[in-house]
Amino acid sequence: MTWTHRERLLAALNHEEPDRVPIDLGGAEFTSVTLGAYEKLKKYLGVNVATEPMSIIHSVAHPAEVILERFGVDTRNVQPGGYEGGLDHWIDDNNYVDIFNVLWKHTKSDVDQHFLHKDGPFHGGKLTLDRVEECDWPDGKNPGLARGVKERVQAIKAKGGDHAVCLYLPGGVIHRGYAMRGFEAYLKDLYKSPQPLQLLMKKLCDFWCDTAETVINAAGPENIDIIYFGEDLGTQDGCMFDPDGIYANYLKPHHARMVSTVKGLTGHKVKVCFHCCGSAYHFIPHLIDIGVDALNPVQVTAKNMEPDRLKEEFGDKITFWGAINTQRILPFGSPEEVAEETRRIISILGKGGGYILNSVHNIQAEVPPENIVAMFETGLAHRYH
Amino acid sequence: MQVAKIHDAVLEYEEEDVARMVQAEVDAGTDIKVILEEGLIKPLDVVGEQFSDGTLFVPEMLMAAEAVAAGLDIVRPLLVETGAKPAGTIVLGTVKGDLHDIGKNLVGMMLEGAGFQVFDLGTDVDPETFIAASKENQADIVAISGLLTTSMPEMEKTVAILRQDKETDNSNIKIMIGGPPVNQEFADKIGADAYGQDAPGAVEKVRELVSS
Repeated sequence: MTWTHRERLLAALNHEEPDRVPIDLGGAEFTSVTLGAYEKLKKYLGVNVATEPMSIIHSVAHPAEVILERFGVDTRNVQPGGYEGGLDHWIDDNNYVDIFNVLWKHTKSDVDQHFLHKDGPFHGGKLTLDRVEECDWPDGKNPGLARGVKERVQAIKAKGGDHAVCLYLPGGVIHRGYAMRGFEAYLKDLYKSPQPLQLLMKKLCDFWCDTAETVINAAGPENIDIIYFGEDLGTQDGCMFDPDGIYANYLKPHHARMVSTVKGLTGHKVKVCFHCCGSAYHFIPHLIDIGVDALNPVQVTAKNMEPDRLKEEFGDKITFWGAINTQRILPFGSPEEVAEETRRIISILGKGGGYILNSVHNIQAEVPPENIVAMFETGLAHRYH
Repeated sequence: MQVAKIHDAVLEYEEEDVARMVQAEVDAGTDIKVILEEGLIKPLDVVGEQFSDGTLFVPEMLMAAEAVAAGLDIVRPLLVETGAKPAGTIVLGTVKGDLHDIGKNLVGMMLEGAGFQVFDLGTDVDPETFIAASKENQADIVAISGLLTTSMPEMEKTVAILRQDKETDNSNIKIMIGGPPVNQEFADKIGADAYGQDAPGAVEKVRELVSS
């Protein structure tokens, strides 16, 4: 049989082997390519199209259709439109305020071209219920969030090829919380001001769930195959917080609500891919428990994230999405080493389906185009039978 | 003795209790060094070990380090009065081109909690600033952090410049690196004297370096 892109991707997510490993590039803001690497890639491939940023803040490109076709990419990205009448504005080229009144500053560096959050509405002082309540919260039913969504879905469908539509819904209850409150203060509030922090998380979760409803309804629930969201629970060497204590009791209920909301809105047809950098190992049982179908980016260089261990312990319950070594092999290896590693990962994680090929996180700026091509061409050449 | 209670208050992350009890011990005439070693440094080492073992996590380490800092605020000026020198002086910063500081800040807090004097130069620190600050503060160690793989070549350059300056000056300053993309192998390759695996690991390496 001939497999469409969508069938191939869904087969893998259903733990079946399609014709070849499915490939993602740019399905979401954290499975794409940084602007630095993208420019070099375009030049190398002789592709002469204007660069369309997917996110200026994260310095990520929306890869051109011609490049996605070249690599046989099975996914196509949809994301919310721009919020209307919010607090967001550019102070200047290097300073941006988002709809949550968080200040993002450009790194202004040759090697690290993106923005980092530096100030927010709850920075400093004690977090109180009043402070959280009185904040100027954005509304997830804002019509701007739906803008362009239907047209984007129609354009993907009209193009033919039956691609898997991946809806990326930014935010969550942790990272946006860090941005609004400050990283260290947020983590301490988990103990020191749990009630106000819970209210902050609830507000963020409300916004996310309302946004999901707005965007899914605009797209048409039947048109979405994957919802992609998530936040980092791991570090390079371990867990950010206690997986079975803090996470299970305070954070997981919000993630559970988010997953059940999008599954409910789509008649339980949609697959959910959760993004969690670092050592996700101890969180995977919790993610499976709340109905997450796939884990991205599978940071294989973090603690306990060896591919064979993951496949052995969780391979029948969750799909792995990513896993091509961003910290060593993609930036510093040869194209032959990249191809070999890609084959190794497919053979371990892709056994019986359950694997989608992509780099660990966005392809970073210093990754040579030859290595990007080697990764995707190895995927394209792969055959299950 | 009451110093044991300070120890326990650190492990319960009770910043205000630690400050109150440290002040009470100082007022009672307890040896400052005992308060520092037994009441503050010792429990933070326990937290560090549990963090490295994966039984305690970032929030707990942050809170313990802050509780210790509350005690240090009281103890430190008194130590200066007695003429006692800090266990060592470290100049710390994130490498040029990299603005990430979460890991670096944790390292700084844990080093201070361990009784070291820390000069944190912030992020995006160029080699010349590391050199100037280490000379000005007569540092024993320069500690360089970075999150991105793109920072690794910059780290290599910085270490090379620091080493060259060290040779010119015939100084004994030590250079260490840390951060998610780097490891011991990379530290060896670029000629750094040590690699800190995580914040408690960095404290351990600093202790080794200053006693060598």
